[in-house]
Amino acid sequence: MGVEIPFDVANIPGPEVGEVVAPEVIGSFISSAKRPLLVVGSEILRDEFFVETAMELAKKGIPIAATGHSLRGFVEKGYGEKVSYYNLHELTNCLRDPSWRGLDGTGNYDFVIFLGIVYYYASQMLSCLKNFATDPLVRVVSIDRYYHPQARMSFANVSARDGEEEEYKEMLLRLAESIKR
Amino acid sequence: MEELKKGGIFEISDLKNVRISIGEIVEAGEKEGRAGEREGEEREPMGPHPMPRIATLRDWDFKLLNRYKPFYAPLCDMCCLCTYGKCDLTGNKKGACGIRMDAQHGRIVLLACLVGCSAHCGHGRHLLHDMIKKFGRDVPIDFGPEVDIEAPLTRLVCGIKPRTIGDYEKVFNYIEEQIVQLADALHTGQEGSYLDFESKALHMGMLDSLNKEAADIIQIACYKMPSGFTGVGDGPDVPLVDVGIGTIETEKPVIIVIGHNVPPAADIGDYLTEKGLEEVVELGGICCTSIDTTRVYKKAKIASALGRQLRVLRAGIADVVVVDEQCIRADVLELCQKTHSPLIATNDKAMHGLVDRTDDDPDKIVADLVSERVPGVVILEPDQVGEVAVRTALEMDRKRRKLSFILTDAEFKHWVGECIQCGGCTLACPNGLRIGEANKSAAALGDTKPLADLFDLCVGCGRCEQVCKKHIPIVDVITKAAYPQVKAEKGRMRIGRGPVWDSEIREVGAPIVLGTIPGIIAPIGCGNYPNGTKDAWLIVKEFAERNYIVTLTGCMAIDAALWKDEDGKTLYEQHHGGFDAGGVLNIGSCVSNAHIHDAAIKVASIFAGRPLRGNYEEIADYILSRVGACGVAWGAMSQKAASIATGFNRLGVPAVVGPHGAKYRRAFLGRADRSEDWRIIDATDGSEVFVEPGPQHLLVACETVEEALPMIAKLCFRPSDTDRGRSIKLTHYIDLSQKYLSAYPPDWHLFVRTASDLPIAAKGELLKKLEDEQGWVVDWKTKKIKEGPIRGYNPSFNPTNLERLVRGRGKGKK
Repeated sequence: MGVEIPFDVANIPGPEVGEVVAPEVIGSFISSAKRPLLVVGSEILRDEFFVETAMELAKKGIPIAATGHSLRGFVEKGYGEKVSYYNLHELTNCLRDPSWRGLDGTGNYDFVIFLGIVYYYASQMLSCLKNFATDPLVRVVSIDRYYHPQARMSFANVSARDGEEEEYKEMLLRLAESIKR
Repeated sequence: MEELKKGGIFEISDLKNVRISIGEIVEAGEKEGRAGEREGEEREPMGPHPMPRIATLRDWDFKLLNRYKPFYAPLCDMCCLCTYGKCDLTGNKKGACGIRMDAQHGRIVLLACLVGCSAHCGHGRHLLHDMIKKFGRDVPIDFGPEVDIEAPLTRLVCGIKPRTIGDYEKVFNYIEEQIVQLADALHTGQEGSYLDFESKALHMGMLDSLNKEAADIIQIACYKMPSGFTGVGDGPDVPLVDVGIGTIETEKPVIIVIGHNVPPAADIGDYLTEKGLEEVVELGGICCTSIDTTRVYKKAKIASALGRQLRVLRAGIADVVVVDEQCIRADVLELCQKTHSPLIATNDKAMHGLVDRTDDDPDKIVADLVSERVPGVVILEPDQVGEVAVRTALEMDRKRRKLSFILTDAEFKHWVGECIQCGGCTLACPNGLRIGEANKSAAALGDTKPLADLFDLCVGCGRCEQVCKKHIPIVDVITKAAYPQVKAEKGRMRIGRGPVWDSEIREVGAPIVLGTIPGIIAPIGCGNYPNGTKDAWLIVKEFAERNYIVTLTGCMAIDAALWKDEDGKTLYEQHHGGFDAGGVLNIGSCVSNAHIHDAAIKVASIFAGRPLRGNYEEIADYILSRVGACGVAWGAMSQKAASIATGFNRLGVPAVVGPHGAKYRRAFLGRADRSEDWRIIDATDGSEVFVEPGPQHLLVACETVEEALPMIAKLCFRPSDTDRGRSIKLTHYIDLSQKYLSAYPPDWHLFVRTASDLPIAAKGELLKKLEDEQGWVVDWKTKKIKEGPIRGYNPSFNPTNLERLVRGRGKGKK
């Protein structure tokens, strides 16, 4: 794998940057995680495919935290009760606290997946967790269409041009398929 | 040597070899440290903390920081501030000097606040210097019968009631000394605690709020800007002014002023008036200088907020550009040269390599500019700017009449066709705008709407053009596509009214503290929005229609004025300008933000009778516990915005920022799940009460405006709300969440203390939800809540965070 340019080109934080991986790699980590969490943002509302993908992941036992106004997408599909709204700043603040009881009151998470959050805000929150959620380690990855250097693992940038949206959707389908829980 | 007694006279005619030493000159009745007093005048006693130093209010800061623990999101994992570095601090490691990443980020926050505070302080000191030179030290600070407490922050922080502008010399001396001491703490090997860095940042923020008040008071007093005089278009009756690029009459000579420091622009206005040229020459502006110019010169217009600065300059609208300080593009000279618009730099903070022509013959300066022998000049005396600017504009208008800098149709077609959709511009764009796709629509389909739609979403930085492989002038392409809507950009805004009147506070103090006016919302600050200027309009509209008081300043005040309803009215035209429910006020420019602090302080003073002099901690405690106010810096970008928000925070006022605000690195977030953080004292009897999380945060970012709207409402909850007030606030919080998130907020139940807190219209339904979803016990016969809330409702609850304010221990007050 070569060097990927961050989607926000000057977003180069330092010596430790996220690895570009295939969807199956992330799927494998999700499969073995003790307590994974999917965090979705408002950009999933631009295509109901992304809301449905989140719901598919939820069926594999991955709870969903909906940030921004993404909750609307789930409510429209009759899935609102199964998703927890959280402000991303607040959620990140909780995730970095080992004593946080989680969305279900049983404990914090060890593997967090970001999807559909506006890029620069997501990057900042990933940075917080990369730097301060280390003991115990909370591994945070991105399955968004952008390269996130602050995530521990990330997809490469996938262009929004015609035809390449399908490529990104295919990657998400492969991810979902690869999760065995 | 003999000391001369008061009133004594001595003769020097026969004296030889005498040395006379004169100390500080004070007026009769003045004593050291009490500038502004007059003999025999009744004064409220000095409080415990006049002119606080770095450690004076540290206990208060630590109370805040314990509840709203600093949250860090590093923008960079390294420190590069000394030659041991760069140091990799990833994972909260220590650098070579021993500093950890969290402390390093507290240090960066302090640095940002230092820059912002220094900007306002430098501006204020500059104003003071120029105003004393022009008008003398004795210009009275008299804002009319409606504003008796003219300088709440100056009284609160310094313990001084300023009578004349000269009294502010002591205030600036204090601020500047503190700034230097705080800057000292940034050096290698100083502070090692992130909490203490944040305390210093809070101190810096407080100083910033003080120097903003100083600056605005000085200019209001000297330029007779609107203040507290009735019947003359002050206060709620300030007139409206034109806003928008489309309002600039480009067939006339146009002068565009950019920056924050009004004296040069005021001089232009004076010259135009003196020469009878008000209808001949357009004086428009960008950013806060334009807001302040409209407070001085009634014919001035506001071309745009900061976000459109690059587009306005590129369009070549200006026959002369006059800049002063802050928020001016660093490439302004280059841009002006391309459009043959002479540049006049009027401030030593931004001289752009130009020759200083202060005190030169205006005829020669004008000749040099008009002939373009020089692209611009520096003129540091404000009183010399007006003549040069106006005469140059008149002549340049004739010269430039045939010039156009908007792309022709053929040029536009050529450039959109050049795009190879490499995506480089999208990667460089702060908002990740899909410029390539929009170019393709225009080139392939002749559909220019996608490009036109980008005009408002674009923050006007020009980074896209820096990376374009085909050297497409992307900014110009977008402007061309959007040209019809740019020409139609014509809004109306109230001019900056300055201080909120004491009489208004008397009317609304009780409703605000008791909660029946749901809150004060303050959309302020820069225009680095995630999704265009319409967000600014929506925030104002939503809360004004819900009877909050909406007080705007700066770029947000301008941008909110651009949008109209179906009847063609802007929000300022739809809503009154009074500090009352449903009011939409333009308080003024960046420095006018102080009047928003002042309004909250005056609630404590006028409504609750709390003493102000040197009493910052008590008033901040009051505001945090009782005044439901929330700042909204939706497009916060600058270091000034960082120090402004931090100043609000120290005074107990929370703020919501847009998603770009996460790049300030630090937030102040409360945890609703940590009940131990929400301990408050009832000052009536000293008992400990654990309260609901209100306000839950002091500084938080929201991702979208849809998320922000319920969050802003949530941050207006206060422990002192009456049940009626709480039910009104809950109504809006729940309603906004349902409207924009399609769901109840997950934490609404935390703010219910008693059944009468519930919105009346939905009481039954909400009681059922509390029973079913939260397991609360409800007595359905009496419709009362028997078990469940964090605490009950006590109408005489007297919340405080300060033990010393408990009755019997000090000055317990309501």
